[in-house]
Amino acid sequence: MKKILALMMAMVLVFGVAACGGGSAPAPAAPAAPAEQPAESAPAEPAAPVASDKDESDWEIVVVPKDASNPWFVRMDVGVKEYAQKTGLNIYQRGTADIDATLQAQLIQDLIASGVDAICVVPVDPGSLEPVLKQARDAGIIVIAHEGASLVNVDYNIEAFSNDQYGAFIMDNLAEAMGEEGVYTTMVAHVTNASHNEWADGGVAHQKVAYPNMTLLEAEPRVESEDNGDIAYNTALELFKKYPDLKGIMGTSSFDAPGVARAIEELGLTGKAFTSGTGLPADNAALLRSGAVQSLTLWDPALAGQAMAALAVHMLRGLPVTDHLDLGVEGYTDLVFKPGSTTVLEGQGWIVINAENVDSFGF
Amino acid sequence: MLVKKLMRQNETYIFFVIVLLAFVIQARSGQFFTPNNIVDLASALVVPGLMAIGAFMVIISGGIDVSFPALASLSIYITTSTLLDMNYQGGMLLPIVMVCVLGALFGAVNGFLIAQFNLPPLIVTLGMSSVFRGFMQGALNSRQLATIPEGMSSFGTSALFVAQNRTSGLSSRMPVSFLILIVVLIIIFFVLKYTMFGRGLYAIGGNETSARRAGFNVWKIKFLLYVIVGVIASLAGLIRVCMMTQCHPTNMLGMEMMIIAGVVLGGTAITGGTGSLTGCMFGTILIVMVQNSLILMGIPTFWQGVFLGMLIIIGTGISAYQVVRANDPARKNLGRARL
Repeated sequence: MKKILALMMAMVLVFGVAACGGGSAPAPAAPAAPAEQPAESAPAEPAAPVASDKDESDWEIVVVPKDASNPWFVRMDVGVKEYAQKTGLNIYQRGTADIDATLQAQLIQDLIASGVDAICVVPVDPGSLEPVLKQARDAGIIVIAHEGASLVNVDYNIEAFSNDQYGAFIMDNLAEAMGEEGVYTTMVAHVTNASHNEWADGGVAHQKVAYPNMTLLEAEPRVESEDNGDIAYNTALELFKKYPDLKGIMGTSSFDAPGVARAIEELGLTGKAFTSGTGLPADNAALLRSGAVQSLTLWDPALAGQAMAALAVHMLRGLPVTDHLDLGVEGYTDLVFKPGSTTVLEGQGWIVINAENVDSFGF
Repeated sequence: MLVKKLMRQNETYIFFVIVLLAFVIQARSGQFFTPNNIVDLASALVVPGLMAIGAFMVIISGGIDVSFPALASLSIYITTSTLLDMNYQGGMLLPIVMVCVLGALFGAVNGFLIAQFNLPPLIVTLGMSSVFRGFMQGALNSRQLATIPEGMSSFGTSALFVAQNRTSGLSSRMPVSFLILIVVLIIIFFVLKYTMFGRGLYAIGGNETSARRAGFNVWKIKFLLYVIVGVIASLAGLIRVCMMTQCHPTNMLGMEMMIIAGVVLGGTAITGGTGSLTGCMFGTILIVMVQNSLILMGIPTFWQGVFLGMLIIIGTGISAYQVVRANDPARKNLGRARL
């Protein structure tokens, strides 16, 4: 009896696997064949606008954030859901369990296999995502990125603003707190992260021009927080111990400034050392009110998510993408191409948060 | 005689490495032997230290647990979000009881699967790690909790004493939670040394069949082991959240590799059966020291990962080499002849 049962279970298993295999086998084969021709022309120039031949209600647009639980991307999800409701289209966000370049690549491969129409991605590690995004474009999927200005295999990359200008904007805030003088350094999530490093570069360039009394810490010009508040905290502890004249840390990731602020507070440096960077209002309300952090800068991830989705819809409708593009999303009503680029579009979506306005954002 | 005995112990070498590293850091930064730096390191040791105790017990028993950070994240997330919803205003007792119960419950799942079906612990805990994480992010829709109950944050920021560095004026808090690490260490030390359960862990790790024949209740020991590990890991998670004064659900994930590396660095055989709690703590201290001193040593950001990886390979390599040597009969005899 047991043997028969075991045999039956084994057979069910085999058939199950065979059935699954049979179902999915043709799927990757189909896009592989036509890939040959467009592959050569694709990277050189974004494809000429072609309207999707599917009905609008059959479109599937997926937003892939760096992960699903970071409040930044939870906020993005809010915006994406709102946009989906407003347009009535099948637009949704799907993130991986944690911030991991490999998991993100796998998720995108799954989406390619399931035949979605557009993928909007916030890359964890732009470099390592290129081959997967190429597969997506070869399969005829529209690829739109955010915070991935260095990406080649995309139709367009939307930035809330020019990275240089945003970096300069953070620097203005830090300089104001530091009294426009003293030694500072920069913190990024990873030294491989494109946007964070461009902000930091922009901030440093701006300091050299606008704040001659400030100096960049030569020994450690850039440190990593790994998008983790605890690592930002421990790194700041070490920096302040090793370099007693360090007066400011320019943060970029949303974990940097809060983590650094915790170190400043614990070391007894409140009022002597300063930090500024990106951060969500609700998470940092207490820090802003206590004066541990003077000001944080931000763009609204909800609007960034909407802008990506809106551009995907715009392209699926076959409309052209030109300078001064209006996506109908606040801060993205006058998108211009980054000088010298045919794929990177920049908006004007930055805001500053301080103790006075922290409660007015609703997130 | 004592010196000879010490020279044959792995712990002695790790201790020397720690002292050597301390002097290197001191030479490069002038900051190692300052009161506030020592306190910072002790504070950074609490969470990895607790987790290492759990990982150590599992490795001793011949198993391996890679699910404890996910398990801790899940129990602490449930605890914090429930208490927030309740608008909890009390002290630390209820949070501690809650995480311990949840940790024991989730640990029991691991323990049951491993003890009852004799499944390989690596497979079970790898799978359960995904289950815990998935449950947290799917079913509970976890997100960062920016505030935690008042009682928890005041526990996390309260200090046993504050160390002041007179020259730089910097101060550091010795967290009260350091006491929890000490208490758990003492309890586990006695459990491992003087209870049937503790001796049973070593026996199972050495040879499970022999242990069973010798009369150890292997099922019970294995089950209990994973329950205890679940409790200790969840306690560590609670401390991490209290100290950060916010609950970030994925913050601890991925810690398991460094923790296990620390345990193995401390001379615990990855195959089970041998190792000491002292060595485990030394190994963990070494890892925590390196992780928190790379900037003090002036190692450029780009090279920090390489440096940590090299330390693990060299450290575990030495330990693995010793196992090979111990199992090589020719060498064993040679060693005896020399003595």
